[in-house]
Amino acid sequence: MLKLTNVVKSFNSTGKPEDKITVLNGLNLTINDGEFVTIIGQNGSGKSTTMNLITGVMFPDSGSIELNGGDITKEKEHARARYFGRVFQDPMMGTVAEMSVLENMEIAIRRGKFHSPIKWGFRKEHKELFIEALKEFDLGLENRLSAKAGTLSGGQRQALTLLMATMPQLPSHKSIRKDYVKFSYGDKQKAMEEVEGAYKLLKDEFIAKKSEIKADNSISKKEKKELIRKAFNEFDTEFRKYDVTKPLLLLDEHTAALDPKTAKRVLTLTNKIVREKGFTTLMVTHNMKDAIAYGDRLIMFAGGEIVLDVKGEEKKNLKIEDLLNQFEKVN
Amino acid sequence: MPDIVNIIVNILTSGLPCCLLALGIFLTYRILDFADLTAEGSFLIGASITAAIIYNGGNPFLATILGCLGGAICGFITGCLNRYLKIPKLLSGIITMTATASLAMLIMGLATKEDSVFASQIPLTISPTSTQQTIYTVFWNWDLTNPIITSIVMLVVVAIVVVGIYFFFGTEYGMAIRTTGLNENMARSQGINTTVASIVGVTISNALIGLGGALYVQQTWTVSTISATGYLVIGLASILIGEAIFGKRSFKNWIISVCLGSITYFVIITLAVKFGFPTELKSLLYAILITIALCLPMIKKGIIELWFKCKSRRNKNA
Repeated sequence: MLKLTNVVKSFNSTGKPEDKITVLNGLNLTINDGEFVTIIGQNGSGKSTTMNLITGVMFPDSGSIELNGGDITKEKEHARARYFGRVFQDPMMGTVAEMSVLENMEIAIRRGKFHSPIKWGFRKEHKELFIEALKEFDLGLENRLSAKAGTLSGGQRQALTLLMATMPQLPSHKSIRKDYVKFSYGDKQKAMEEVEGAYKLLKDEFIAKKSEIKADNSISKKEKKELIRKAFNEFDTEFRKYDVTKPLLLLDEHTAALDPKTAKRVLTLTNKIVREKGFTTLMVTHNMKDAIAYGDRLIMFAGGEIVLDVKGEEKKNLKIEDLLNQFEKVN
Repeated sequence: MPDIVNIIVNILTSGLPCCLLALGIFLTYRILDFADLTAEGSFLIGASITAAIIYNGGNPFLATILGCLGGAICGFITGCLNRYLKIPKLLSGIITMTATASLAMLIMGLATKEDSVFASQIPLTISPTSTQQTIYTVFWNWDLTNPIITSIVMLVVVAIVVVGIYFFFGTEYGMAIRTTGLNENMARSQGINTTVASIVGVTISNALIGLGGALYVQQTWTVSTISATGYLVIGLASILIGEAIFGKRSFKNWIISVCLGSITYFVIITLAVKFGFPTELKSLLYAILITIALCLPMIKKGIIELWFKCKSRRNKNA
């Protein structure tokens, strides 16, 4: 759950009080897990600022931003990057043009993780994962992994960014434990005991299994290795149930720079991915038709406030005329 | 024949320290997108620290490593000025470079132990003897300074550095540094601490330049506050020439191109001087060379187009 409470943000380029522009004036917004929210609003209505505040590009003057019960208001952009998958308006921004598709995806799979200065940056098991994911996206890129991202078309780049943003995250056991405590609603001490206890139990089990396999003389060394890996994978998947950070997907007008046909394709793809993988999604768009057609909640921004917030049945029956009327009314 | 060997060795001994310089500048200029003017400063600091230690009979390997470290500190300062004090990249480089001119003088003055530490307006000269050894003479009799040995030692150092750079920038963190330079917004959105990555990148770059200075001074035996002047231009020219002639298809290809570019640069200079270009006008030659290097991609494209035009005309006639 993402929760913005009383968020105020103003810009002042000159320092004089009369030049102060308040973009958000006490914004309150709660987004529940698994919701697909579309956001519309005129330029300058505060929707981009809201996105930037959520991702940490800028910080609010006052108010707080909470994610799953943990306060992330003061966390730096790179520190909170692992909670958010982002696709930008500019297709050039989400990928590194001078790097290959493979390199771009390698960076994305390590989002928010420690970058080791010793370990080689390319992994064989990652490559298989990427090829599979690219096949699923049907971009015709699975055979062009070494192509520079700059040589792809805008639509392909946007789709690649979307894929990178929705890549399965495999946080380390340490960060799972840390996040479990951070994002627990109630007693932090109790949560810590809980997760550490569970971790210790599972780890002991794994170690016992491992020594059992090692002591067994009836199997060959290679088989032993295989069995140990299997046991570790079991332990790993079991512990990953404690991973509370399901990344949010933030789409900032990600089809605005594409031609209508490509935009439609990327949007269909977005919808498919969001529905299949159950991402909590925020999608900013200028296209009212898309805002109505996709998602299960619609929010309209105007003058730094939410003027319309509809969901469920009500949203399904919404028509473009209603939105236009609303726009007129606000101005 | 010995004449040719002599020329080759000459080119190698002056070109290989510049390989390191060019690699350092390449890392900031091309990979980090950081127009770093610290280069000349860290080259001078690397050279003067090494010379100072060797002058006092220190271990030449320790001297080289400390020279390298001196360069690294210069880079670190530039990176911090840019990242934490928000001084523009170009200016933070200039600030560090300005400071190093005085610092180098201080280091040289302290080394010679003159009455005034600033007596070293005159260059600090080391002369390999049994007490003052360089990394080129420890493998050989000090009284027989062999340029071939010198170039072999240099070649080994450069080879180690090239392999090291290639592997480092292929690791997870190296990749993060490259991402920071190429697309900083994306790097931050992927959870890379771009502040640290950028500073680390500039530090590594200037460590290489400091190492270049250390190799340089042990070959020329003399360093003064003006001896590094013009080396930034040489490094840049090496990068441009290397890219234009040897290409930049992949990262591996790119770093090797930069090294070969700096050798090519010295080949051209040596040949020009050999064929009677007055040495006093060297700077003019540098300028002409860089202009040509910058135009090379255009010239290459023009030639290819011309070739295809001729070919299609011939086909038409046939």
